Amino acid sequence: MSSASSRAVRVTVTVAVAAVALVLVGGIVGRISGPSPVSARAADQATTVDRLEQSITRAQDRLRRVPGDWRTWAGLGMAYLERARVTTDPVWYAKAEDAVRQSLRVHPKGNTEGLTARGALANARHDFGAARTDALAAVTSNQYYSEAYAVLADAETQLGNVKAATAAVQRLLDLRPGLPAYARASYDLELRGRTDQARDLMAQALAAAVDRYDIAFCRTQLGDLAFNAGDLARADLEYTAGLAADPSSITLQRGRARVAAARGRMDQALADYAVITRRAPTPSHLLEYAELSRAAGRDAATPLNLAAAAHELFRANGGIDGLTGAALAWATGDPARALAEARAEWSRRRHVDVADTLAWSLHLSGKDTEALRYARRAHSSGARSAVYAYHLGMIEKSLGSVEPARRHLREALAINPYFSPVDASLARQALTELDSR
Amino acid sequence: MRSNVTPASTVGGRRASLRRRAALVAAAAIAVGTSLYGLGPGGATASSHREAPLIAADPAADNTDLYAFVSPERAGYVTFIANWIPFEEPNGGPNFYPFATDARYYIKVDNNGDAIEDSTFRFTFTNIDNRGNDTFLYNNGPVTSLDDQNLLFKQVMKVESKFGDGPWVTRATNAPVAPSRVGAASMPDYQKLRDQSVFTFPGGWKGFAGQADDAFFLDLRVFDLLYGGDLSEVGQDTVAGYNVNTIALQVPFKDVALNEDVKRNPVIGVWTTTERKRVRLANGGGSGGWVQVSRLGHPLVNEVVLPAGLKDAFNAIGPVKDAGIPAVVKRVTEPEVPKLIEAIYGIPAPATPRNDLVEIFLTGITTKAGGPIKADLNSQLNNADVNPRKFRPSEMLRLNLSVPVSDNPNRLGVLAGDLQGFPNGRRLADDVLDIELQALEGAAQTGKLVDALAAGDAVDSNDNAFGDKFPYVALPNAVAVNTVGGGTRAGSSDQSGSTDPSQGPATSLGGDSDVMPMAMTFGGVAAGMGAVFLTLWWRRRRSTGRHAKQYENPADLTIPLQQ
Repeated sequence: MSSASSRAVRVTVTVAVAAVALVLVGGIVGRISGPSPVSARAADQATTVDRLEQSITRAQDRLRRVPGDWRTWAGLGMAYLERARVTTDPVWYAKAEDAVRQSLRVHPKGNTEGLTARGALANARHDFGAARTDALAAVTSNQYYSEAYAVLADAETQLGNVKAATAAVQRLLDLRPGLPAYARASYDLELRGRTDQARDLMAQALAAAVDRYDIAFCRTQLGDLAFNAGDLARADLEYTAGLAADPSSITLQRGRARVAAARGRMDQALADYAVITRRAPTPSHLLEYAELSRAAGRDAATPLNLAAAAHELFRANGGIDGLTGAALAWATGDPARALAEARAEWSRRRHVDVADTLAWSLHLSGKDTEALRYARRAHSSGARSAVYAYHLGMIEKSLGSVEPARRHLREALAINPYFSPVDASLARQALTELDSR
Repeated sequence: MRSNVTPASTVGGRRASLRRRAALVAAAAIAVGTSLYGLGPGGATASSHREAPLIAADPAADNTDLYAFVSPERAGYVTFIANWIPFEEPNGGPNFYPFATDARYYIKVDNNGDAIEDSTFRFTFTNIDNRGNDTFLYNNGPVTSLDDQNLLFKQVMKVESKFGDGPWVTRATNAPVAPSRVGAASMPDYQKLRDQSVFTFPGGWKGFAGQADDAFFLDLRVFDLLYGGDLSEVGQDTVAGYNVNTIALQVPFKDVALNEDVKRNPVIGVWTTTERKRVRLANGGGSGGWVQVSRLGHPLVNEVVLPAGLKDAFNAIGPVKDAGIPAVVKRVTEPEVPKLIEAIYGIPAPATPRNDLVEIFLTGITTKAGGPIKADLNSQLNNADVNPRKFRPSEMLRLNLSVPVSDNPNRLGVLAGDLQGFPNGRRLADDVLDIELQALEGAAQTGKLVDALAAGDAVDSNDNAFGDKFPYVALPNAVAVNTVGGGTRAGSSDQSGSTDPSQGPATSLGGDSDVMPMAMTFGGVAAGMGAVFLTLWWRRRRSTGRHAKQYENPADLTIPLQQ
């Protein structure tokens, strides 16, 4: 307990340091364009008070009065986790953990809410096995408890247990049709390549949105779905509509920055990323910033260093993330390390992203035959991913399979010609080379 | 943030390695060319962006209360009142509280005791939204009638019915729904809007839907018992000042009685549900049928009798399944609250199994089910045409339509000798919390109220007076409720005998009020975005019960239970 808190203290301090460092070194305060005219629906929700903040305050007041209320302890933990999700500030994980432990201490047996909250915390830390265990215990104690199925669905999805994940999502849909259910159902369909249906369900989720954080989440997913299909105009619309409801949303700002980069507005995109990474210095944001800098011919060292630091913080806070570890290693020219991270992650879970990451790591280590197996596995999973197709195509090229390589590289660019600031042009380059043979 | 940090030896080690690593990274990055490495997970990866919200809120589907009683001013007609969306804050800024247009609202009646509905009434809603894209305002000027062009958003309701295996029949369409009361300036004469939304339709039926004062009255802090609290904090009506959305229906006895014959079959069982569309993943996300997401019969069953863990089950299943869930039956026969009361107050808990509670909650009070309460009051088993072999115990509100309207209604209902009262159906002014507490302590079986709990929660009546004709519920409150959490509590004030809720104490605008009092579990159907797990325990408002009380206090503590 105390070590988690001490880690939390260090995490906070180091994040602050990193953030300051970013400001000093990067120093670019970007101009981010303001939100578009407010639509009636968005305004309805955007003008409401911050319900999450209110919930937290009320829970704290309640618990001062009735400290034995284990349900509210668990609920407070869940609220802290929502706060962590929205702010990306890992300090909330420690608070969540305290509240969850308190709930289970007060009511150790059959505490469905406490188990569910503990499972949600495990998911946030990427300890998907532990999350699954807790979620299963929760549904055993109460098979009608919808939140437990949400936690279970997340864990099974990330573990790569596709059937179990779908079953959990369906159960959630049957118990409590609403935003959490529709959002997870949408992701389930997206992973199977049913992007139109995924979009329809996410639109349903948006219709069930109650506050601006909900709107921001849904608009992000809708925008990302469009972006990943190469539809910049649609993506832009969604991100902009979302920002009208919640201008502070990091995920929406990121979406808009990617659109800017795809349109070639590199200065704008870099400025946006400078702000994003200052506010939310997560490894993935910093890696994307580094990639963008490189694509624009700028120095990527600072964001890379900060990405490594942020990853250390995440791990210091109890998190495990081999995907980020591998990506960092790719970026910093350490293929051996990337392979080790990817293999370790694969041993923990068989999510399709991990297969793809392992494939690429094997490729960078020169192990193309083995890489091909994993790349095919990712590609044939059904998800319409430009990155999977690109990786597969490059591996096939490396192995001399010209026709399949050509096919898959074309596929990647057809799915999304903007799939990566650096790799998209590498894909085009590779195609040119292949076509000239 | 904790300060008892214990630096471990690895801490310094980790910091040092971080510094070394950072240097390495910096060095390496400069050396690497762009052509070799693609950076970062892209596309479908980056699972950190996949963390979806966990806490679901569905206030519009959340059943809060059900009332069923013989209409006092209209002989031969039964009234059902069902409420949704708890803790609606009056004057909640731009918020108003429409019924969900993608949900189905039900009142269901079982008259032969097989726990399956025989008469079903379904209510669905449509928006008439003239706001366009340039405003989010609910109205752009005073609204003097439901047709006023200044009312930019309103709803209409469709009423359908189904009897037995017969088809669904539409009974009314485009029935006007009373709007949320958004303030005196916007709605100078709300009574008129209310009057315009009460409608009569074929068969002598009457209907109403719209916002109303929350008729419930209780001090929810009583249930702190379950978390180690005691009954010391009572006397404040937790839901005073709030509004709900009400659907009210008044139909002749014959439309709910078995074989349409109320003389032979006077007892009906009633419950209310909400359904939403079922999404099927195997269908690519298309819809396939409906799922029940909320259900309610007796009030406070989840606090008083069942553990909250069964509340989720309750919301999902129909009454026909209750008897098959052992935990349900077990909890009724071995309730928790009496044990807690014994521990705190020394009042001996009545011996288990509590078959008297089984009678009250699961079968109705009858001599025909072998239960201990020797009276025939409100079980379908007492209907002449019922096949007792098909009878299934289930949780529902049971009403005997032949019990005459009481001349002297008593808030303690059957326990005070007023046989028209709860648990024989439920009238608006029945003090269900006190009645259930007494019943838990065995009062129904012994025939004597428990003195030590005589005060109950010390909230004996609603803050607003009820009307004497359909739909009976008071107009919605128009003034914001006191809030305490932020230290902005107004002094206790009373309404100086006024019955108009709009003349309540002036206060600052409250915060959000989106939590159901009845559900203490977070994530239950209980409403409230992000606040599902909370109850508004900290909200206070002095019980203002200075209005003329409709019902008097019991003077007689013995209970004759013979009909």
